[in-house]
Amino acid sequence: MADKKKKEQAVESPGKVWATRIKVLLISGILASIANMIYDWRTGAEVIHMPWEVFPALLYMFIIVILGCLIHDLLAKVLPFQVPVILYVALITTILSFPFAGWFATTMQTEFAKIGLLPLCTPILAYAGISAGKDLDTFKKQGFAIVCTALIAFIGTYIGSAIIAQIVLRLSGVI
Amino acid sequence: MKDFKENFNLKDWKVHVLCFVIMVIAELIGTIKITMNGARGGGISFSLIPMLFAILIGIILGGAKKIKKETMITASPYISICVMFLIVKLSCSIGPSWSKIVAAGPALILQEFGNLGTIIFSMPLAVLVFRMGRASIGAAFSISREPSIAIVAERYGLDGPEGSGVMGAYVTGTVLGTVFYGILASIFVGLKWFHPYSLAMAAGMGSASMLTAAMAPLVEAFPDLAEDIQAFAVTSNTLTNADGLYMSLLIGLPLTEWLYKVFSKNHPQKGVESLDEASDIVVEKEDM
Repeated sequence: MADKKKKEQAVESPGKVWATRIKVLLISGILASIANMIYDWRTGAEVIHMPWEVFPALLYMFIIVILGCLIHDLLAKVLPFQVPVILYVALITTILSFPFAGWFATTMQTEFAKIGLLPLCTPILAYAGISAGKDLDTFKKQGFAIVCTALIAFIGTYIGSAIIAQIVLRLSGVI
Repeated sequence: MKDFKENFNLKDWKVHVLCFVIMVIAELIGTIKITMNGARGGGISFSLIPMLFAILIGIILGGAKKIKKETMITASPYISICVMFLIVKLSCSIGPSWSKIVAAGPALILQEFGNLGTIIFSMPLAVLVFRMGRASIGAAFSISREPSIAIVAERYGLDGPEGSGVMGAYVTGTVLGTVFYGILASIFVGLKWFHPYSLAMAAGMGSASMLTAAMAPLVEAFPDLAEDIQAFAVTSNTLTNADGLYMSLLIGLPLTEWLYKVFSKNHPQKGVESLDEASDIVVEKEDM
């Protein structure tokens, strides 16, 4: 069953993958710009950014994401191991955010500042909420033991990382 | 190219409209602060932010059978696509915060080992208390996202008890993960045990949607530090994306296996019922 599914995913044509990517990027971009406007209004921000005011920011983001996907698709053919797309996207953005990127770095900073972090997340989690239902039936049949173990594991990684970070930051005098 | 034209359509408009409606409702609800006072004065408080309402509304509608299964499956791969915008927004704070990231370099690298905290916390519970048998290995060695399923599938196969463990934890994460992390992070912000920078690094655990939920309360509580919080969180998350697989294979699984041997010696195991549905779960590369 699992193998069959893997195969089905593998044969998904590049044309279909790109169609989905571009479509969802365009739609979720528009959704995020609207969420941003409502968020500004609800939180009583001094300036309420209208959706079209954040389009330049979304356009830059769009270009970077497409670039990341292109590099991912090209390198996936030659690399012996899998590299997630978001690693490329994060890397490209990071490089462009340094002062040596000149005009692009400063423009990116001023434009991106217009779109808030939290409203950018709302459409993502709305999609996540819609799709979470597909596992709901399995989840309900889940034993209490596994649910508990999973949740404690979630706490574990969070606290584990926080404790180590806190100690090392203290020792190295950052905080 | 033909495939592109065939698939570049709005046949799935229902998903997007539903997403839009949920998003607007969630944003209109806004942030709600909840305080639970303890008997002796101390209390726990956390805030529910719009994004948590967004996922909650989705789950409730799904539970009430108001969303078609087909719609749910269609929406699933969309998460990983629109997460990209967020990654760009977050990563662009790395350049301006670079000197701080270098200064915090040792902390950022060493806290990666904190991801093994999953094992230390949940193995004793799974083996000693619940006596879950080898399912505990699958559920406890990581936060059970997509790469972990791949590891278990390869090592043990998904049909065995380890497979039930990882799939069960995966499903738990999909349904409860973001809301759980959102509330957990919010509580830790209120407790003030840790510096916001430490919590920012802790938020980066390799899953973009969980990163989102764990980081948001921090950004909201410390708007002045937002830039640095974002930079630390996304750096930590990117590191985990890169090292997570090797960390699990080289340290995580061997440590879990060893702990299992030690703990189960004097504690007979009952095991858990295997999930017949496990093989029907559609695993999308949500955070890959």
